[in-house]
Amino acid sequence: MSATAMSLRNGWRGLAFIAIPVMAITIFLFYPAALSIIGTLVHPKDGGGYTFSLQSYVFFFTDGYSLANLARTLWTTVVTLILLIAVTLPIALYMRFTKGPLATVIQALALFPMFVPGIIICYALIRYMGPNGWLQSLLSLVGFHHYASPHLTPWGPVIGLMWDGMPLTLLILISGLSNISNASIEAARDVGAGRLRILVSIITPEITHSLLIVSALNFLGIFGQALMPFMLGPTNPEMMGPFMLRTFSSVRDPLQASTQATITFLICSLAGVAYVRSIARRPQEDRK
Amino acid sequence: MIFLSTRRFDFFGYGILLFLIFFIVLPVLTVFLWAFAEQWFYPAVLPTKWGFRFWSLVLARPDVWSAFVTSIELSLTVTALSAVICLPAAYAFARMDFPGKSVFMMSFLMANAFPRFALIISIAVLFLSLDLVGTFTGVVIIQLLNTLLLMIWLPTAAFRAVSREMEEAARDVGASAWQVFRYVTLPQAFPTIAAALLMTFVWTFYETEGAWLVGAPRIRTMPLLMMQMINNQLVVQYGAVLSVMLWVPSLAAILMARRIIGGDTFAKGLGG
Repeated sequence: MSATAMSLRNGWRGLAFIAIPVMAITIFLFYPAALSIIGTLVHPKDGGGYTFSLQSYVFFFTDGYSLANLARTLWTTVVTLILLIAVTLPIALYMRFTKGPLATVIQALALFPMFVPGIIICYALIRYMGPNGWLQSLLSLVGFHHYASPHLTPWGPVIGLMWDGMPLTLLILISGLSNISNASIEAARDVGAGRLRILVSIITPEITHSLLIVSALNFLGIFGQALMPFMLGPTNPEMMGPFMLRTFSSVRDPLQASTQATITFLICSLAGVAYVRSIARRPQEDRK
Repeated sequence: MIFLSTRRFDFFGYGILLFLIFFIVLPVLTVFLWAFAEQWFYPAVLPTKWGFRFWSLVLARPDVWSAFVTSIELSLTVTALSAVICLPAAYAFARMDFPGKSVFMMSFLMANAFPRFALIISIAVLFLSLDLVGTFTGVVIIQLLNTLLLMIWLPTAAFRAVSREMEEAARDVGASAWQVFRYVTLPQAFPTIAAALLMTFVWTFYETEGAWLVGAPRIRTMPLLMMQMINNQLVVQYGAVLSVMLWVPSLAAILMARRIIGGDTFAKGLGG
């Protein structure tokens, strides 16, 4: 058998091996997404045929409740993202540049949320930070009596989503920081660079890629969450996740639910495109 | 310690530790305290009466058992299906050359670039017209999609890590392609694949949003039952007991899996 024939055969076999999963995500992921987007624009007419209409979008953008929910979602996403990076970056820097028992303990604790399923996180946070929860008991023990619980306020989902997003954010940032060689930092110190200078001039440029990935993934993760906002957040206004859920399951209005999903897709596509572009641009050897 | 702490006492490190204790350790501890509390009135710092009474109450509930059986059936089905369709694909991505390989790999990563719940909504709208809402099959499909990425990319990394020299050496001494796969490639890749299977099983067991939207109210999984118990809040301990009872074994499983896989693989797989 000639070499070309062999590689051709190998090619067909490779395609056959990946055919089922590719078909699965095409049929059950990309197709429904496309279908529901089209379904919000094109409606079947009574006497047959189809009409084009933007009516469901007009409803969304003139409905005060829908707009308030969208605004609340954007607020939660941005606030959570900023807090998450503000909290995680120092921890990642610490873990990258410090060795010893304390660093090991910090690593174990900070990655721990990865092993706690979402529903258990919700339960734990409700019992801990909720009204008359353990945190309030502990605080009143030390004489602090003005605790206002974040549970069922806009801050409830922020805390839950930070819990949820921390481990992955940390792993990606640490992976980015591991590209920085100790030698380059020592060299900078030798020529008299201070800590801030090292952070700004050496570390930040090296982890821009990781920061971008972290921001994009968390934006998608927070915007597209239903469980945490449902369990920990207020109901009026609510985030898009619980809003879509209620529209679909309780109001039983699949058209409006699809419209809300499409608007969510559009807003998140910014983060999605940023994510796909940055992983596509990665150097080939990293992709292993 | 070349960058951050040159001082003798590591204030920065202990500051982080304190934050993590309040943010992560204490909430988790709360669940354990509630699971063994028979009575706990605010503002007592610890339960006023300890005991196992609620454990036997939880175990006596038929809805707990039926949800448990449903969840186990779902997780087993999804993990098995996922392995059957993903492992050949993982092998192909790692060892074969075919047209459009990187495009297909990207299409799996692109599934990450969508807001999850909006996707679930659009799938549910489609399922509505296919009469799959409220069925076991519907939940299996939605949870299966959730596992594809993990089940392809971890085994791909595992197959890639197997040394080509060893495979070629086996071919040189006359082993067939199947024998090479069976006696050289598979044994080396097996630990990571087993870890991926374990993680898929545990993640599927706790998958909530897809089962909630597509399965409820007819298919009731364990997380959905827990959600209901938490929201009703009639007996606080039910949620706590269920959490501890289910989560401790799954934690052990995941820790074992993570020991094999390592954090960097996760970060790299998502593009870090």
